[in-house]
Amino acid sequence: MSGNHYDVVVIGAGLSGLSAATRLGMFGKKVLLLEKHYVVGGLNSFYAKKGRKFDVGLHALTNFPSEHSGKKSPLLKLCRQLRIPFESLDLQPQSHSKILFPDRSLHFTNNFDYFVDQIQQNFATSFNAFQHLLQKMESFPAYSVNAEELSTRTVLQESGIDPLLAEMLLCPTCYYGSAQSNDIDFPTFVMLFDAIFRQGLARPRNGIRAILDPLCKKLKELGVERRMNTAVKRLHSKNNKIEEIELESGESIFADQIISTCGVVETELILGNDYASNEHPEVGDFSVIESISVIEGKPTDYGWDETVIFFNDSEKFHYQCPEDYVDLRSGVICLPQNYQLNSDCSEFKLRITHPANFSKWEGLTEKSYLSEKEHFQDKILQNGLEYLDNSKINKNFFTQKILVRDTFTPKTIKRFTSHENGTLYGSPTKTRDGSTFYQNLFLAGTDQGYIGIVGAMLGGIAIANNQILRAG
Amino acid sequence: MTKEKIKQIVLDIIAEIAPDEELTDVKPEVRLRDQLDLDSMDFLDIVMELRKQHGIDVPEAEYRELESLDSCANYLLPKFEAAAAA
Repeated sequence: MSGNHYDVVVIGAGLSGLSAATRLGMFGKKVLLLEKHYVVGGLNSFYAKKGRKFDVGLHALTNFPSEHSGKKSPLLKLCRQLRIPFESLDLQPQSHSKILFPDRSLHFTNNFDYFVDQIQQNFATSFNAFQHLLQKMESFPAYSVNAEELSTRTVLQESGIDPLLAEMLLCPTCYYGSAQSNDIDFPTFVMLFDAIFRQGLARPRNGIRAILDPLCKKLKELGVERRMNTAVKRLHSKNNKIEEIELESGESIFADQIISTCGVVETELILGNDYASNEHPEVGDFSVIESISVIEGKPTDYGWDETVIFFNDSEKFHYQCPEDYVDLRSGVICLPQNYQLNSDCSEFKLRITHPANFSKWEGLTEKSYLSEKEHFQDKILQNGLEYLDNSKINKNFFTQKILVRDTFTPKTIKRFTSHENGTLYGSPTKTRDGSTFYQNLFLAGTDQGYIGIVGAMLGGIAIANNQILRAG
Repeated sequence: MTKEKIKQIVLDIIAEIAPDEELTDVKPEVRLRDQLDLDSMDFLDIVMELRKQHGIDVPEAEYRELESLDSCANYLLPKFEAAAAA
């Protein structure tokens, strides 16, 4: 075997690519992992600014196996598959979170019964219908590769629950994983409902690096070759087989099998004229802006004890690519410090996320990009404070408590993920089993429809297992 | 190679892939799935480790032969003997 020939080339060192490469390396495959960016993690990456560390994606690790949800969490499964001790993640469970709509809020913790109780209290007349919905969700084969792609909005309407409750259930599930506008496909809804409410939210004490660092170390020990700053220019095919991987540098790489984690649309782009299928995936357009403020003190000094708040300004939930730069009508607030409520700290982060329009941000000149960022940073913070308890805040005094601010836009997300339009959750077209028109090319990651950090990792593992390792 | 040794080999593999499982009281005649928290992904790993550590191939259609320690021993013994003779 020559130096530029591999058993498997994995495109993209995000969580699905890292997981797939780890599995393949564990069982003796000669693997090359290619990453366009200079850091690993993809959407779930990190950066440093003014001496502080920031996570890009991680608001929450879902599927927390709490004392209530037991051992069935897929998070335990993936630790086992990757042979990472679960304890090494050092997970801190959430305090509590809430879904906040005008005049109505639903609180949830890592105890599902508490959430069900909240629904009973707030939507008493809908409670029977809600329980029937829960039964329907339990019997729905959401995790099967053949799960039917129903509209969740339609299912919720037909269930007979209060329309406001339906909007409130769509809010967190869309934010944590929908590539569609104002809806989410039902299998993904069921998976996210389980991941967020039945299991729960937690965060590694050291952020996303608690997952990325052990994976990178393991890959090194397994002899998996990893090349950073290395973009794929083209995949060349012959008779529905990929024959050559051409890098931006001009170098040619050969592989028996290829796992592409860069997205279904993005994979089509690197196939260029070789793209031989008549089916074109839909290009997603949902992206976000996130504004982060580092604030002096502890969140509880300001009366803030929630971990995540999903909010919306009216009875109808808004989840779509806005026409303007940012849609302030709905969003997500995260206080990562409240994964360890009441622990000591001298400063904490307040992260506020809103839907945003990629084309608008992309179209700005360097100078106006910076000034728009500055402008929206203020608006986002002022708007976000309306959804937090602001009774203890003296507005004039509060700005002095802000130590550092940073904002990332859809352009930043594109830089980390290479997703067209800076999409958070890829294309609305999903291929769950990862197979493509090409017999030796498989897709893993977001466009498999398994969502979030846990979903991405399980997706990468599943493709490595089912498409490559099982076949021998 | 003996059946007892093969059972120990399989137990050692399970200890490696599922370190959180308690393996001291595994009953050889009872299905592994019924006494341990193992799923199809874990069985794939048992198969992959048999190949990696001992050069033993288990075709996918025959994974069910690995359902208990006794069935593992019966099914794998000729394979281990063939591997040793080769």
